[in-house]
This record gives sequence, C-alpha cells and structure tokens, in this order.
Amino acid sequence: MPETLFDYEYHLAACARGERQALRDLYVQESPRLLGVAKRLVRDTALAEDIVHDAFLKIWTGAGRFDPARGSARGWMFSVTRHLALNCLRDHSRETQGDIDRLDNADAFDAQLHGARIHLCLEQLEPARRRCIVHAYVDGYSHAQISQKLGTPLGTVKAWIKRSLTALRECMG
Amino acid sequence: MTTGPSDESPRALDELASEYVLGTLSTEQRIDVQERLRHDTRLRTAVDAWESRLLGLTELTEPQSPSPHLWQRIERSVNVLNRQQSTPTAVPPVAWWNRLPLWRGLAGTGLAASLLLAAMLLTQTTVKPAYLVVLVAPQDKAPGWVIQASNPRAIQLIPLGVVEVPADKTLEFWTKAEGWQGPVSLGLVKPGQTLSVPLDKLPPLEPNQLFELTLENPNGSPIGKPTGPIQYIGRAVKVL
Repeated sequence: MPETLFDYEYHLAACARGERQALRDLYVQESPRLLGVAKRLVRDTALAEDIVHDAFLKIWTGAGRFDPARGSARGWMFSVTRHLALNCLRDHSRETQGDIDRLDNADAFDAQLHGARIHLCLEQLEPARRRCIVHAYVDGYSHAQISQKLGTPLGTVKAWIKRSLTALRECMG
Repeated sequence: MTTGPSDESPRALDELASEYVLGTLSTEQRIDVQERLRHDTRLRTAVDAWESRLLGLTELTEPQSPSPHLWQRIERSVNVLNRQQSTPTAVPPVAWWNRLPLWRGLAGTGLAASLLLAAMLLTQTTVKPAYLVVLVAPQDKAPGWVIQASNPRAIQLIPLGVVEVPADKTLEFWTKAEGWQGPVSLGLVKPGQTLSVPLDKLPPLEPNQLFELTLENPNGSPIGKPTGPIQYIGRAVKVL
C-alpha cells in the first residue's frame, strides 16, 4: 500500500493495545524499505535482518510511548531502525577496515533525487558537499571514511558537513 | 562531549542534534546524546526536527525483500516478550533497565562485592562456576543473594541471609542480557530458598547479563515485566 494511504499511527496505537496483527501489517508495509536502509548502512544482509528484527521488537514495546506530536509514526520506525544500525556500525567501528565500497557511482544519487523537499534543498548544495551528506546519512560513513572516499582532507569534510546541515536547515525551515 | 544543557548555545545544541541524526558522531558522542535524550527535552525537540527533515533521504536506498524467516523470528521474540503480557502500554516510560546512571552507580560497588564473593566461593567449591553474580540492595549495596552457574545452561540462586518480604508480596527473579528488549522472568522466589533455574529456553549466559529480584504480587508480575521495586540487582561476572 502506498505510504500515503496506510495509517501508521493507527497501527502503532493498535500495537500499543497488544494487537499482533497491527505489527504484522506494519511489517508487511515497511520491512522491505527498513531492511533496505539497514542493509545499506551495515552492508551485510544477515546483520541487517538482525537490526530489522530488533527494530520491530522496539516498535512493539515502544508503541505505547510513541508521541505523534514529536513526528510521524512512519518516520519514527525509520529512526528506530537507522539508529540501531548506526549504533551497530559505530560499535564495530569500521574506521580501520578501509572497506569502503568504491564501486558505487555517487552520481547515481542525482538521478534518484526527486520530489520531497529535502531533495530540492540537497540539489542546491555543491555536488561534493551533497555527497558528504548522502554518504553520512545513507551509507553511514564516518567523517574519516568520507574524507578517504572523496580524497578530501578530514577538516574540510567536517566543515562541509557542518555548513551543509546549516544550509539544509535554512532551506527546509 | 561534556557540554551540558546549561552552558550550550541553541546553535551548538542544534548542530549536535543534526550530526546525531546524520550519523557522523563518534560512539562516545552517540552514547552521550542517547542518554541525554531520555530527559533533555530541548535536545529531543531538535533531534525530532532533524529526523523529519532528513527522513526523505531514506528514499535513496533500494528496498530489499526480507527472508521468509525474519517475520517468524520477530513473532517468536514477541511471544517471549509477551508471556503473560497483554498490555504493552503498562511498561513505564523509562524502564529501570534503561537507566544508565543506576548501572553506573552499581558498577563500582557491585563489582567489588562480586570479586570479594567470587574469591570466597572459589575457595569453598570444588566445581568452579563459570559465572557469578552478587545481587545487592540498590540503596545500601548490601549483598543479599549470589547466583552461580557452573555451566551456561543452568544457574543457582543462593540466599546469603534472611530476607524480609511483606506477607502479601513475593519476590520475582528476572534476567536481561545486552540487546534484549526487556527482562525475562525466571520465576518466583521464596525468601531463604535456594533455587535452581534451567536456562534451556534462554540464550546462554553472557558477561554483564543483568539479574534482579523485584517485589511483586503473590502470583508474580501480571504483565511479564517487572512492576514492583527492585530488591536486589547485579551483573554476571565471568570467572576466569
């Protein structure tokens, strides 16, 4: 079902009441996208499935504490999953492994940019800075990994990211 | 990252929130932010705003079909969590097992007591336990029980003295390892009773695994999670 028609808040509230079917519906609705996000971050299918497993348990036990005033229910599910994956990445720090995938074509990002406001704002950044943001958010790269990947000094990467975030904030409000 | 909410400019707070959501903070900074998010509403608001600003970037990843087993695994884990539990909403907003300061506070005194008792027990037993836990009272850190495991599949809970329990209450025994969503009940305990608990339905013991006794109604917690006050608490220490 398109995410615009699926009532995430209703399903979370049902989870909070202990309705198992609601969790199943959320799983059917979002698990492929959540798994995609986790897999891109941790780069291992089995580990990504572990993360989605943990995320759904967190969604189940945390549903009662979800506060719609703080953001969308769908966004919360993605945040839960991303932060589990990021914690996992940073715990098993890949900083020293140098296993950055150099095969992907960063410009392919541009083709996928569409619609949502974030993408319009992202397009206003210089390409190298845009890539910093995407590598950090989507690939889970650390400052050092981005610096290595782009062949740009670490200090420059840090400054670019800081300024890009400020620019995104101004653009998006 | 020691900057506290009091001496932190709104700009620094927003930068911290943005890099937390972006994912570029170090492990230490992430832990620090996650701990602050439990009580720091300014930081929470800033993080929430960044989460929704950047959410659209998740569209840049290709969806991937999960293996057919993944849902079954989730369902099994939900069953474990839900044993006897019908209302997940009854879980308190910040559950005790998520309170880092409690663990930090216990770590020093608990470890000292553990090592002392480990040494005592080792001189008295012929079968060397693989893990030891000393359960101490949260207020005065007085040791009340010791848990020993000669193998990772079963544990013994041994009282160190007489424990007073109100007539209309009972002690319930819980454990939680790293990464579990919440504690799992190991059953009810009578004061002064030595209890042997098979762990065949749980993963093997691991270092730092938490154990605790809470005060519950006579039939135990109605929701499968601790509801009453902690009487004794401790972490598993691997015996070398």
